[in-house]
Amino acid sequence: MKGALKHLSPALACCGLLLTWQLASLGLKNDSFPTALDSLRAIPPILTDKEALINILASLRRMAIGFALALAFSIPLGLLMGRSRATAAFFNPLLMLVYPVPKAALMPIIMLWLGVGDVSKTLVIFLGVSLPVIYHSFEGAKAVEEKMLWSGAAMGLSAGERLLRIVLPAALPEILTGCRTGLVLALITMVTSEMIARQSGAGNILFNALDMGQYDTVFAMIIIIGAMGICLDAVFETIRRWLVRWSEPQFDMPLSFS
Amino acid sequence: MITTRTTNEWLLGAAPIVLVLLLWQGLVSFGYAPATLLPPPVQVFLRMGQQLASATFQQDIAATLFRLFAGFAIAVVLGVSIGIAAAVSPPVNAVVRPIVRVLAPLPKVALYPAFLLLLGFNHESKIMLVAADALFPILLSTYYGATIVEQKLIWSALAAGTPPRDVLWKVVLPAAMPSILTGCRIGLVISCIVVFLAEMITSTDGLGHVLVTAARTFQAVDMFVPLITISLLGLILNGLLQGLRAYLLRGFPSV
Repeated sequence: MKGALKHLSPALACCGLLLTWQLASLGLKNDSFPTALDSLRAIPPILTDKEALINILASLRRMAIGFALALAFSIPLGLLMGRSRATAAFFNPLLMLVYPVPKAALMPIIMLWLGVGDVSKTLVIFLGVSLPVIYHSFEGAKAVEEKMLWSGAAMGLSAGERLLRIVLPAALPEILTGCRTGLVLALITMVTSEMIARQSGAGNILFNALDMGQYDTVFAMIIIIGAMGICLDAVFETIRRWLVRWSEPQFDMPLSFS
Repeated sequence: MITTRTTNEWLLGAAPIVLVLLLWQGLVSFGYAPATLLPPPVQVFLRMGQQLASATFQQDIAATLFRLFAGFAIAVVLGVSIGIAAAVSPPVNAVVRPIVRVLAPLPKVALYPAFLLLLGFNHESKIMLVAADALFPILLSTYYGATIVEQKLIWSALAAGTPPRDVLWKVVLPAAMPSILTGCRIGLVISCIVVFLAEMITSTDGLGHVLVTAARTFQAVDMFVPLITISLLGLILNGLLQGLRAYLLRGFPSV
């Protein structure tokens, strides 16, 4: 019973939020704030429209490619930085400078060089995901216990093998935290890059609808993009659980001091 | 992230930045990139000096900073209090957890049109967006930090005669502090990013607006200036947060 409730609770929260929305819009009676029901009703036409569907899938494809490339590049770099002081000292200041730059804001400049196509949008997503992943891999690798590395070295593992077989698994929980921030940033970057380069994608539909004053489409797209985020996060969470099931802390114990 | 202790490491760290600048200059002076697309760095930094001295640009920076701080402050207050409350009280936890699970992965930029329609095109919608985006990293790490507080610490405090209502301030909050500050740091970076984006989407002032105006008129030099400014602002704010962290955590072993 309790387990079932736990699985249902996110769905209940969704319903609760939609209900709040419905009541708020009924209360406000604002033309530009359609009710939750109206917005939900506007979703099927978008999802059955072939062009919109192609747009949304294109967004997802760019995001997947950008995300995968970023992981392939950032995890090794972050681990290296965590294990070698010189590498860390070399890259850190540059990364610190680049981290707070909104990557989607580079869009106008990148568009000048690479055009408005897939390449520039994927590149922007790649940049956005890379930094948190590098940062967390770095922190994770730095915190690996020296003793494990010494044991590894004593058993005859080479430096490369130690990185792969000791540092990577030990840093994995922290790396995955980075990936999760990266996933959120990838979605933000995806939507905004498409907002800036109005050519295709989910962000394009959303902001075009806003400009044309089709408010129910606006809110329907918000629900669709939100659902995308929630589904991706759920998938990610499942993978994460499976990968780091050995290091799960006891989360569900509330502190007691009464 | 910066743990430079020796001048050697400083030099090593400065090297890639100098390299990037040299590469940039090289690309321009050997004619690989036309100056209209990639202006030479000297020109960009001169322009930046000029801009920093001009009153309108200062006002833009002020507008951006105001939104950034307001949103970030709301996020910190809400995030820390909800996070602690959820860690301490099971009923709050039961309500907050599913809501956070639904809202946290939602890309908040997608909500921006809704904020615009509800709150108007002024400061409020942008502050709201910054707060919404910075809230969840702070909330999650506060919650995580508070749940891993050792129960023994609380028992010791109670045994030493601390009244239960004070335990929250004297034990839980300080013990969760490192985690809270890590969350604040992620939140701060995200705030920098989001405030800029919000200003790019709709705004009449702020650094993001400067970039969009420059992009529409193809002034490549002016496009680089706000980007470098926001990167420096992020660096300064991060440094301040680092200082605060060093001060708040002065009793902790090397965090």
